[in-house]
Amino acid sequence: MRQLPDADPGIPDGRSPVRYLRWLIRRDRFSVYVAIVMAVLWMLCQAVVPAVVGKAIDAATDRDRRDLVIWSLVLLAAGLGQAFFGVVRHRFAVINFLGAMFRTVQVTVRQAGRLGSALPRRLDTGEVVAIGTSDIRQIGSAIDITARGTGSLIAVVAVTVILLTTSVPLGLVVVLGVPLLTAIVGLLIRPLHRLQQASRDQQGLLTGRAADLVGGLRVLRGIGGEAVMGERYRAESQRLRGAGVRTARVESLLEAAQVLLPGIFLVLVTWLGARFALTGHITVGQLVSFYAYAAFLVTPLRQLTEAIDKLTRGHVSARRVVTMLAARTDLPDPAEPRPASELAGELADPASGVTVRPGEVTAIVAAVPADAAAIADRLGRYAEGATAGGQALSSFDLATVRERILVGDNDARLFTGPLRADLDPAGGDRLPAALYAAAATDIVEALPGGLDSEVAERGRSFSGGQQQRLRLVRALVADPDTLVLVEPTSAVDAHTEARIADRLVVARAGRTTVICTSSPLVLDRTDRVFYVEEGRVVATGTHRDLLETEPGYARTVLREDAA
Amino acid sequence: MSNLLPVADTAQVRRYARDLFRRYPRALTVAVGLHVLGALAGLVGPRLLGDLVEAIRNGEGVGVVDKLAALIAGFVVLQAILVRFAYLASARLGERVLARLREEFVDRVLALPLSTVEQAGSGDLLTRTTRDVDALSRCVRLAVPETMIALITVVLVVGALVVVTPVLAVSLLVAVPILVVGTRWYLRRAPAGYLKQNAAYSTVTDGLAETVEGARTVDALRRQRQRAERSDADLSKSWVAERYTLFLRMVWFPVVEAAYVLPVVATLVLGGWLYLRGTVSLGQLTAAVIYVQMLIDPLDRLLGWLDELQIGGASLARLLGVEDEARETVQAAATEEPVGTRIEVAGVRFSYVAGREVLHGIDLTLEPGERLAIVGPSGAGKSTLGRLLAGVHEPTGGTITVGGVPLGELPLDRLRREVALVSQEHHVFIGTVHDNVAMVRPGAAEEEVRAALAAVRALEWAEALPDGLGTVVGSGGQALTAAQAQQLALARLVLADPHTLVLDEATSLLDPRAARDLERSLAAVLHGRTVVAIAHRLFSAHDADRVAVVEDGRITELGSHDELVAANGPYAALWRSWHGERVPDPFDEEAATAIR
Repeated sequence: MRQLPDADPGIPDGRSPVRYLRWLIRRDRFSVYVAIVMAVLWMLCQAVVPAVVGKAIDAATDRDRRDLVIWSLVLLAAGLGQAFFGVVRHRFAVINFLGAMFRTVQVTVRQAGRLGSALPRRLDTGEVVAIGTSDIRQIGSAIDITARGTGSLIAVVAVTVILLTTSVPLGLVVVLGVPLLTAIVGLLIRPLHRLQQASRDQQGLLTGRAADLVGGLRVLRGIGGEAVMGERYRAESQRLRGAGVRTARVESLLEAAQVLLPGIFLVLVTWLGARFALTGHITVGQLVSFYAYAAFLVTPLRQLTEAIDKLTRGHVSARRVVTMLAARTDLPDPAEPRPASELAGELADPASGVTVRPGEVTAIVAAVPADAAAIADRLGRYAEGATAGGQALSSFDLATVRERILVGDNDARLFTGPLRADLDPAGGDRLPAALYAAAATDIVEALPGGLDSEVAERGRSFSGGQQQRLRLVRALVADPDTLVLVEPTSAVDAHTEARIADRLVVARAGRTTVICTSSPLVLDRTDRVFYVEEGRVVATGTHRDLLETEPGYARTVLREDAA
Repeated sequence: MSNLLPVADTAQVRRYARDLFRRYPRALTVAVGLHVLGALAGLVGPRLLGDLVEAIRNGEGVGVVDKLAALIAGFVVLQAILVRFAYLASARLGERVLARLREEFVDRVLALPLSTVEQAGSGDLLTRTTRDVDALSRCVRLAVPETMIALITVVLVVGALVVVTPVLAVSLLVAVPILVVGTRWYLRRAPAGYLKQNAAYSTVTDGLAETVEGARTVDALRRQRQRAERSDADLSKSWVAERYTLFLRMVWFPVVEAAYVLPVVATLVLGGWLYLRGTVSLGQLTAAVIYVQMLIDPLDRLLGWLDELQIGGASLARLLGVEDEARETVQAAATEEPVGTRIEVAGVRFSYVAGREVLHGIDLTLEPGERLAIVGPSGAGKSTLGRLLAGVHEPTGGTITVGGVPLGELPLDRLRREVALVSQEHHVFIGTVHDNVAMVRPGAAEEEVRAALAAVRALEWAEALPDGLGTVVGSGGQALTAAQAQQLALARLVLADPHTLVLDEATSLLDPRAARDLERSLAAVLHGRTVVAIAHRLFSAHDADRVAVVEDGRITELGSHDELVAANGPYAALWRSWHGERVPDPFDEEAATAIR
């Protein structure tokens, strides 16, 4: 059996949603075509059943024993054929569904990688995440339905031909009546979809509320409020119940319509057929099969409606994918990048006046912490403006800059999977030293599976301080020429902070390190400190010098009043 | 983390499901009754159709044919009406049962002892709260009524067949062994297969979300290739899981479909032969063939919903398992009222896991109105001590009393009036800013909430939100910074106004200068209250009346800031380091060696 996913998803055709869907079909064309052929055969097997049953009853009426047996055997063959073609069709349909879905995931992940830090600026992150949570299924379904859709279309045509050749007036009634009924039911479905959506939204809301309670359970335990929260949940729950009953009211009408409309229609066909049979226009067997065909047609027509619906949704979803594929980074590579070897010398941020000497530990203290983070962003080229050895960072390939300069901030995401894989994906020998330097050895030791333990989503199973230390480990393992750390110890206790500060300086000896912090324990161990107010450097020196000469600095780091 | 919450056994689940429906006997009877009547009305049609065919055979007049057709039409209308009300009645009942189920579940969750939640990890509880409740909703809304209707229809069709032509009903038996064996084989494997498939699918979508949301991190660490490889590996796993369930269906589908067609063929052959012999009439034969074909659809639905029913049953078992756990915690009855507000800790020991003690004998007296700072290295047991002081956990040895009464003997709402805890773990609940604060005191006046927010310096930004205090925050609402979330937590505390407060790194996420401002403002509001501050920043310790240094589960130093600095112990060393004196970390032998 074929293996999914393909190692290389290929280059998607992102010019339009339709082209994207067509590209998906092209990539899996063999199994898409097989599924279509199977669906046609499957539908035809179903389509002949009423005729065969009619023939068999006619044979009985005519007291023709041989024909009765023959038609019964044909019926058996049709049934078994239906089972066989049906399951083969299903197999290929699943592969088409998964193939399209998997390929879209692959394409999305690769594009997210290409966009990198520009992604949240260029696209709505939630929309891109929605590709993973809902669009991939819609796109998969659109590709999947091509087979059944085609099969249904052919079945409808075939039955129409059979009916018209038997009796033109009766055939016309069926051929015109069934689509009309489907259209009426389709009209009824629309308000239902709206209500169902409202119900689903309310359900989502309620689930969110319950998850919120579980997430905040510890907080509740500390301070109380369980009764209020429980009451609020009950109120939401009753609202959902109300929405559910409202939906059911419309749903029940639809259910009734689905009994009434085809039922009355069948009565009409049967009554007309009976009259024709009375006058000898058709046989009794034909009457029974007319009845059966009218009943049968409901299925392929419903599938056709479903196909149109799914293709429409798939198109909407494909549009989202195409939008994402069209996004380009706002930190483009220059047409003629400077060679990586020129990325050397003093790193500077002219906008603030911060300069970073190679090999030193530089600290940035900002009266408003966000200023320091903005400087760090420029130094790492997450925003334009910084220079290296006098050359703008934007004159190098972004990949070169990323390789040399690493900015580690507290928003950095810890990735799920084994801890070791996130901290040290390359599997070098730097990990133990990095764990030691970040005072994180005890975190790993406390884990039941050590470095092989699974990291929960966003590293949630670790406390804030632990997450921070693990991020630091990861940055130290990456061992870049220049490491820019933003508030690396803000969530750890003073003892640990002092420990990390000592070890960090040793671990980074000879490399360039920039630390944005306001902790005196860390600042005391740095070579040079820039004090920033309103985005500009106002004083430079060692921590101790600044403590004595710069009252604003002393206030910021010691949080003592000017007194 | 490995001890998951318990799961109820099959007998408990059955009993619960039975009791649930026993609570609504009338609604249940009405719903089932209507479905039965609807299905009965549906069965008359084919029977009359048989009569119609017979009438034509016998050469009856147009009048008879017209009358029969009108009669069939009448039954169709009747069936439609009955179906409408049957559907509505069962949906009403289902929604009622569901609402009750999930509300009871949430009540149980809210009553869970925290130690249980922590041992099991909140992941398991969260899964039950979200996935299991959703699965059960789907089951009750769709699977239960659909199976019920299908079952009723199957029973009635078979009954009708027996009434019309008892002989021809025999042909149904051909299908029974095939269906039973095939379906049993499938159902034994399907639930596990689909659970695995869904889990693999979630891994794929979670991984994708992680890559997209962490795009900047992927970029910074140059993990593009790893992320693609990781996602491809997740997809491969998903494929393996999908292929397994596909295999199950590839076996089961053809078996079932063959089983559907066999009775039709058997009815034709047997019925035709009997008709030729004159045992059955043509009308009987026609009706029998139609009835047998009519069985296919409800039977198919019935079988199709069986695995959903199984999944729903499993979810119910997990939800009821939480009840077991909750029931085991007997609410302590207050035997006596505390006298005064002094908290005394005597010889307290504590271990989360038996055999791994984290606190080894703590003695401490909290004088009313004093400010105690607890400092010490990570993992020394500071937070644990804080939780014990707040009555969140009960000590495994020794006692903690407030006004002479053990904390554990106070009912929860009474306890909260004595002592409350705010930790570094902040959580903004879904709801308005006002609700987030007022939740600790239902019915608190708007002015009191504003005052509480002002006390933690949060009123200004809260009023600047789009809808002021009425702005919806928390997951899905207006995003708050971690610092703002922490301020909200403290505002709750101010409003709750217990006489003793435990602040565990409660301001650690604020920018340091703001933290200090806030603590001072808070100190003014909480004047006269006993405050235990587990300190992160040393200025908190400096401001406190007394400082307790906790190391390795014991209090090693206790005294005022000045006393401890004079004593020249570990605290003094840390303090000097904070103020710019270069000294080796007193707690860190390794580092001390490394620096030398």
